[in-house]
Amino acid sequence: MAKPTARIEPLAALKPDLYQRAWQSVPHPTLPLLATTHANQVTVFSLSTLSQHSVLAGGHTRSVRSVTWQPAQPAGRLRLVTGSFDASAGLWTWDGTGAGAGAGGGETKLEMEITLDRVDEEEQQNEEEEWEFNLVLEGHEHEVKDVAFSPSGQYLATCSRDKSVWIWEDVGAADGDDEWETVAVLSEHDGDVKAVAWCPDVPGRAARGRYSADVLASASYDNTVRIWREDADGEWVCVAVLEGHDGTVWGMQWEPRPEGNKFPRLLTFSADATIRIWSLREEEEEEEKEGEGGSRLFRSGLGGIPNTMRRSMREDWDCTAVFSKVHTREIYSASWSAKTGIVASAGSDGIIALYREESETAAAAAAATTTTVEVTPESAWRVLGTVSNAHGPYEINHITWCKRFDPGAGERRGEEEMLITTGDDGVIRPWQVRIS
Amino acid sequence: MQKSDLDNANPTIFDVSQLPSRSQKKRSVRQGPDSKYDSILFPKHAWPWAGSKTTSTWPSDEEDDDGDDLRDDNFVEEPIDQQEIYDLISTISDPEHPHTLGQLNVVRLPDIHLSPSPAERSDPKCLSTVLVELTPTINHCSLATVIGLAVRARLEQALPPSYRVDVRMKDGSHAQDDQVNKQLADKERVAAALENDTLRGILEKMLETCA
Repeated sequence: MAKPTARIEPLAALKPDLYQRAWQSVPHPTLPLLATTHANQVTVFSLSTLSQHSVLAGGHTRSVRSVTWQPAQPAGRLRLVTGSFDASAGLWTWDGTGAGAGAGGGETKLEMEITLDRVDEEEQQNEEEEWEFNLVLEGHEHEVKDVAFSPSGQYLATCSRDKSVWIWEDVGAADGDDEWETVAVLSEHDGDVKAVAWCPDVPGRAARGRYSADVLASASYDNTVRIWREDADGEWVCVAVLEGHDGTVWGMQWEPRPEGNKFPRLLTFSADATIRIWSLREEEEEEEKEGEGGSRLFRSGLGGIPNTMRRSMREDWDCTAVFSKVHTREIYSASWSAKTGIVASAGSDGIIALYREESETAAAAAAATTTTVEVTPESAWRVLGTVSNAHGPYEINHITWCKRFDPGAGERRGEEEMLITTGDDGVIRPWQVRIS
Repeated sequence: MQKSDLDNANPTIFDVSQLPSRSQKKRSVRQGPDSKYDSILFPKHAWPWAGSKTTSTWPSDEEDDDGDDLRDDNFVEEPIDQQEIYDLISTISDPEHPHTLGQLNVVRLPDIHLSPSPAERSDPKCLSTVLVELTPTINHCSLATVIGLAVRARLEQALPPSYRVDVRMKDGSHAQDDQVNKQLADKERVAAALENDTLRGILEKMLETCA
């Protein structure tokens, strides 16, 4: 059986070119929209028309580095948060209920999308009027590097060069107020915190021990990743420090679709030009007991330490894979597809690389995890394909999988995936990926 | 910088005529974008380069029709050598002395490394790396980061975008080498630093003496 390979082919770039460094392009969780940060603004593109939908300008005095869509919004409303070098995060709302009135509740995804396209056309003359800059979240001392919403949209995490991670709660959501409270300031990193990522709401994420379900990861200039959980007293605590990268960890992504009820793994990428996968050491027997509302007080491995104490202890995370090395310089971005499980990476060397987990070696690695504690970081991930000079001579700052909604996708519109890269050249380029 | 106490009050100064140069002027130094302010804010991205030969800031002395399917990269094929890099950065002024980095021997020709070397560079699409090792005047020079930033900003502004610029302190020359090197290598921190008005003012002044 021939090993599959990937062909990565450029599609037409989104319009217009931005002609200046663009940092990040984040797809909306459900709608055909993409938000790109560049200079001190955000350009939102329609993935249906592959052209500009709207612009968010005037909110920040310095570059906007990052953006995140707040999930679970009422029909017709768009909401996003921007993180800026001006040390603040901004909350923006686009209320399409006026223009798209009559749509009512209970819209299907497709209907929403059509509504948005219509609004898009109507609003082209005064596109900037629909976005309202609602609120500035202030508190960080230096540049805000990244912003991320928890799966429910209840919590927002921000991180900064001031070495801290802040967690904010959208306390006014129920009353429709713009009221946000700081619920935690986490200052354990020894360097800039480059990125934050919430664990997706997958079955394996369930509350564990004395911790609630939400899990946050942060990546730092101090070469580590930290995992944070909320304990029974509502305190956010660091439960693990992932050490292994030999350079700034530029970011991470949680496994979007873990196998069975496994806890999602974590993918990290670094200035050391490597990509690693980390796994929580789960003890299945213990899980069953807990699942049954277990009253087991002791854990054999820790020689009789009472459960209550053990549960305040840290989680054990192991590096379970280091990807085959493709990149020659810093990796700024990687994206793990929920649909295919394929990982795409990009960075300073202008290369796009795709990797897929080898199923037989993965099974072997999984078997090894349950029998031994020591896991040799061995690459079970194979390179499927690469593209050089993907943005000509320029660096690639971001890569993401997203659903394809343009007419070119034909009948697979809304299902087929494509890659989108964001470069120092200000070009936002979609790529078609074919596995053969 | 208004400082009453200079970090190094008595640096060794080299006369300009002693500094390395070409025996004959081969060509003029490349010019960056029109506005120095823009170039500092967004090094190498602030001018419209895409597909427009007429607005290109690079001297167009050769045909460039090798059919890049993504865009028309209108770069000069003539290789850039160490001396040219030296000429670009040795004329930067020191932030605290009225001398250039060349005169103070902070920038040294043998400490400029090109990879691949100019002779090997055949494929114009191939990325090149410029590594500049700086030797600050004394080993606890607090302005090492600022000097490094100026060198990085100058090269990113003046070199074609296919050049990756790495600026480091020469081994053993500076007490906080690792910290300074890591900071200078961090694209995000460099970008943020260049948006800082005070720092930008200092850098503009340092770069004023560049040809």
